[in-house]
Amino acid sequence: MRFLLDLAWRDLRASGRSLWIFCACLVLGVTLVSASAGLYRLINLSLLADTRVLMGGDVEVDSRQPLPDEALAWLSAHGDVSLVTEVDTMLGSASGRFSRVELQTVDDRYPLYGELLLEPARPITELIDFDDGHWGVAIDPVLAERLSLGIGDEVFIGALQMKIRALVLQQPDRNLNANWRGTPVLLSAEALRAADLLRPGSLVDYEYHVRSDVPAETWRERFYDAFPQQTWEVKTFTDRSERIAERLGQIASGLLIIAFSTLFIGGLGVFNSIQAYLQGKLKTIATLRALGLRNRRLALVYLAQIAILGGGAGLLGVFCGSLLALGGGKLVATQVPVSASLGDLVGPGLIAMCFGLLTAYTFALPALGRALATDPASLFRGQQHQAARLPRRWKLATFACAAAIIVLVLQVLPDTPFAIGFVLVIGLLLLVLDLIVRGIRHAARRLDEHPRFNGRFTLKLALANLHRPGSALRSSLLSLGSALTLLVACTLIVTALLRSLQETIPEEAPGLVLYDIFSDQVDAVVSAIEELPSVSRIDIAPLVHARIAALNGRDLGKVEALDIRQQRDSSQDRYKLSYSVDNIDGVTLVDGAWWSEPVAGPGKLAMEDREANKLGLQVGDQLTFAIEGRSLDVEIAAIYSQKGIQTRFWFEGILSKGALDPFIHRHVGAVYIDDADAITAQNLLGEIAPSVISVRTESLLQTARQILGKAGAGLAVVSAVSLLASLLVLISVMAAGRSRQIYDATILHSLGVRLALIRQSLQLEYLLLALVASVFAVLLGSAIALPLLQWRLKLPSADLVWLGALVAIGVSSLALGLGASYLMRRLRLRPAILLRSPS
Amino acid sequence: MIELQDIAMSYSLEQSQLRVLDGACLSVARGDTVAIVGPSGSGKTTMLVLLAGLEQPQSGEILIDGIALGGLDADALADLRRDSLGIIFQSFHLVQSLTALGNVALPLQIAGKENVHERALEMLDMVGLSERHNHYPAQLSGGEQQRVAIARALVHKPGLVLADEPTGNLDLATGAKIIELLFDLNADIGSTLVLVTHDDQVARRCQRIVHLLQGKLVEDRDHALSA
Repeated sequence: MRFLLDLAWRDLRASGRSLWIFCACLVLGVTLVSASAGLYRLINLSLLADTRVLMGGDVEVDSRQPLPDEALAWLSAHGDVSLVTEVDTMLGSASGRFSRVELQTVDDRYPLYGELLLEPARPITELIDFDDGHWGVAIDPVLAERLSLGIGDEVFIGALQMKIRALVLQQPDRNLNANWRGTPVLLSAEALRAADLLRPGSLVDYEYHVRSDVPAETWRERFYDAFPQQTWEVKTFTDRSERIAERLGQIASGLLIIAFSTLFIGGLGVFNSIQAYLQGKLKTIATLRALGLRNRRLALVYLAQIAILGGGAGLLGVFCGSLLALGGGKLVATQVPVSASLGDLVGPGLIAMCFGLLTAYTFALPALGRALATDPASLFRGQQHQAARLPRRWKLATFACAAAIIVLVLQVLPDTPFAIGFVLVIGLLLLVLDLIVRGIRHAARRLDEHPRFNGRFTLKLALANLHRPGSALRSSLLSLGSALTLLVACTLIVTALLRSLQETIPEEAPGLVLYDIFSDQVDAVVSAIEELPSVSRIDIAPLVHARIAALNGRDLGKVEALDIRQQRDSSQDRYKLSYSVDNIDGVTLVDGAWWSEPVAGPGKLAMEDREANKLGLQVGDQLTFAIEGRSLDVEIAAIYSQKGIQTRFWFEGILSKGALDPFIHRHVGAVYIDDADAITAQNLLGEIAPSVISVRTESLLQTARQILGKAGAGLAVVSAVSLLASLLVLISVMAAGRSRQIYDATILHSLGVRLALIRQSLQLEYLLLALVASVFAVLLGSAIALPLLQWRLKLPSADLVWLGALVAIGVSSLALGLGASYLMRRLRLRPAILLRSPS
Repeated sequence: MIELQDIAMSYSLEQSQLRVLDGACLSVARGDTVAIVGPSGSGKTTMLVLLAGLEQPQSGEILIDGIALGGLDADALADLRRDSLGIIFQSFHLVQSLTALGNVALPLQIAGKENVHERALEMLDMVGLSERHNHYPAQLSGGEQQRVAIARALVHKPGLVLADEPTGNLDLATGAKIIELLFDLNADIGSTLVLVTHDDQVARRCQRIVHLLQGKLVEDRDHALSA
C-alpha cells in the first residue's frame, strides 16, 4: 500500500501541474458551496436559536382594537403580558425631511425576552417619558443617519414635536423588513395618544406579547376555547420559527443552487482535465500492467491521486468559503443578530468537502476507467495509446457517486421542492443537450458529406471537427451553454425590471402617493395640494378594511369546500376595499364586466383574481363582508388582476359607489405632480395633516433603483463566477484537445496544407461552437426568464430576447475567441518531429 | 519450459479478418535463447504479446512451466508477469515520473519484495548506471534508457525474458553493447530469453532462430547445433 501511495505521489508530483484546472474548478465550486452553506448555518443558528426573542414572547395576540377587559384579565392570568402598539406614520425633521416610520409604544415590561440596547444605556421608560416640555423617542440609527438626526434633536410626529433621547443599538424583536417597511421609533403609549394619531379608522396593531410556561400551542388552544367567537390572531414562537426557517431556506436554496451549478459546470472541467492528464499517462498505465501490477492496485494509484488533488482543492475551497461565510456573517450582523463562530462552520465545511470529492470522483471515474482499460499489448505495437470503452464496474461506480450527490443535494437544500426541481432541471438539461448534440453532429455530418461543399477545405475540416468522435462539442456546449443560459436569464430579468422602473413608471406614475388620509382631512389635503403649480390630477379613493363573513349565504366556517385552516385564515384576513376612482391602481379585468353606476340593490364587487381563486369564487357569487361589526352583502360582478410590481395600493376588492359609504374613515390618494412640488407637498402635509403618510415616487424609485442596482451587481457576480467556471472548463476542453489538434494540424501541414488554411478551419470551428452555444443559451435562458417575467412579475418582455441573444453571442464569441487565440499561439507546427517520432 | 500449441490469432478489420498467427507451434526449454525473425506483419510481436499473457489466442494453448495461460484470470496473469516475466520494449517504456532507480525497483516493489533499493542499485551497477540512479528517463540517452529497461526486466530474476526488438531504436554501436549486456546478464540469471528482431547479428547470438512467415512457423533452426 505504501508503495502504491508513494507511486501515486511521485507520479502526481511529476505531472501534477497539468491538473491545475482540475483543482481550480473544484476550489471554485467548493468555495461557493462552503460559503453558502456556512452563511446559511450562521444565520439559521442565530435567528432560530431562540425565536421567542425575535417574536418578543412565547405567544402574541394581535388585534386592530384594544382587547376588552375580560380578555386582558385572561391574558394576565395566563402569563406575563407586554403590549406593543404599532402605527405607521411620517416622522419629520426640523430641516423639513420626512420619512415613513413605524411607531412602537413600549411599556415597562418590554422586552419580555432578550435585551434592548440603547445609547445612552438607561431604562427605556425613563428616556421616552415626558420631560422638559417634550415626549422622548428612541430612534433607529438607520433613520438617524438617513435624516441626519442625533440625540437631542427635535422631530415631528403627528401633531407633536418630540425629542430624540436615545438611539436603539439593538432591538431583540426588530422586524427583518424594518429598513424597507418603516424603521421603528419607540415611544410611550401616552405620547402616541397625545400625538392625535389614534382616531376611528386608524390602522393600529395592538400586539400583546405573552410569556408563559404553558406550551405555546396549548396556550393558543386554551385562548381560542376561552374566546371562540373572536377573530384575534394568535401567533406562537414556533409559527415564527417555521416562517423564518422557510424564508431562510428559500434564500439559502437559491444561493446553494448557484453554488451547485458552479460545481456542476466545474465538474466538466474536472472531467476534461483528468482526461487530458490520463491521456498522457496511458503509456505508464500500460507499462505498469505489463510489469504485472494488478488492475485493482493500479486503480488505487490513480484513485489516490484524485483523493489527494480533490482533498487538497476541497480543503482550500472550504477555507476560502469559510472566510467568505464569516465575512458575510459580519455584514449581515449589521441588520440581524448573527454571531459568527468558526466552530459552526465545521458542518458546512464537511458537506462542501463531500460535494467536492464526490464531484471529483463522479467526473473523473469515467476517464479513469477508460484509461485503466488500456490494452498493454499496444506497447509492443508502437500504437497511439487509445482509451478503451468504459468497463461496466466503472460505470456503476460513476452512477453510485452521482446518486450520492443527488441524495446529498436533496438532503442539504433546505427547500425540498427547489432541490427536486434543481435535480430535474439538471437531468433535463443533460437530456436536451444530448439531443441537441446528436442533432448538430448529424447535421454537421450531412453538410460535410454534401457535394456542394466539396473543395471547401476549411469548412469541411471545421464541420468534421464537430461530428468526429471525441469532439469538443458536448463539453463546450455544456460548460459555456450552461453559463450563458444563466447570463441570458439574468440579463432578461434585470433589463425588464430596469425598463419597468425607468420607462413605464415615470410616465404613468403619480409623483406623490398618500396613505391614511382621514375623512375630515380630505378637503384640506386636496385644496392644499391643488395650489401647487405642477399638479395635473389628484385621485382620492376610500380605503376600508373588511373580513369575509359568508360565501353565498353560508357562514365561512361552514363552507365545505374550504378546510379548517383555510376557513380560519380567510376569516382572519383583512381585505382592502375601495371604489374604482379612475381605476387608480390600473387593474385589468380578467372575467365579468364593470357595472353601470348607480347600482340598485346589493352592491357590486370586482375581486382580485388571487383572492377569488383562493376561495374558489366566480362571477355571480354572493359575498358577505364583516366591517366594524356590521354586514355588507355584495355580488361578484368581475374579477381583475393587478399590474404586478407597479401596483401601489393593492386593493383586494373594488365596490360599486355608495356601498362602502357607512364605513369610510380613511382614504388613499395619488397626486400627479413633479418631484420638486412633491417635496413642497410633503412639507405642507406635515403642517396641515401630519398623520398622513406620503411617499414620493421619486424617492421610492431611488430606493428601488438602489435595490435593483444591488440585485444587478449580485447577478453580475453570479454570472461572472459561472462564466469563470465555464472559461476554466473551456480551457480544459482545449487542453484536452490541443495535442490532438496540433498533431492533426502538423500532419496536414506536412502534407502541404498552408498554415493559414489550418488556422481558418480552427477559427471556423470555434465560430460554429460559439454560434451553437449562443443559440442554446438564448433558447433555454428565455424559456426560464420569460415565463417568470410574464406570469410572476407581470412584465411581458418577449421583445427583449434580442438583447439576450446579443449578450450570449458577444460573451461566447469573446470566450471562444480567447480560447482560439490561445490555441493559435500554441500552434507552432514542426512536421519534422513526425519523422523522428518512433510511434 | 514454454509451449505454444497450434496457436491461431486474428484481428478484426472493418470488413475482414486479418490472420496474424495460423497454427503456430513452438517449444522452448528452460534457459534457451530464442530469436523470432520474419518480415513485418508475420506475427512476431503477436507471439510475444501472447507469451506475456497480454492477449489470448483464438485457438490453441500456451503453457509456461506447465501452466496454461488460457485458464488464468486477469489477476493471475498479472501475477505471472510480476513473478516470472521480464519484458524489454523497443521504445523502452520507462515510467517518466520515476528515476532510473525507481524504474528498476518497480518489479520488486510490485511483488512486495524486501531490500528493494539495494537490489535495484546492484542491478543498475550491473548495467553500468549506478552513478546515474537519480536521473529521470528524460535525462538519459536512448542507450542508457534501454539499459535501465534491461535492468528493470531482470532485477527480479524472471524465468522468462521477452525482448521486442531491443536495439530497434539504437545506433549500431550502442545496439551491440546492449545485446552484449542482455545476453551476459541473462546467462548469469539463467532465464529463458525470447527475442524478436530483424537483425541477423542479434539473431545469431541466440541458440535457436525461429522464422515466421504469414503467421506460420516456417523454420526452426538450432543455431548452436548448426554452429
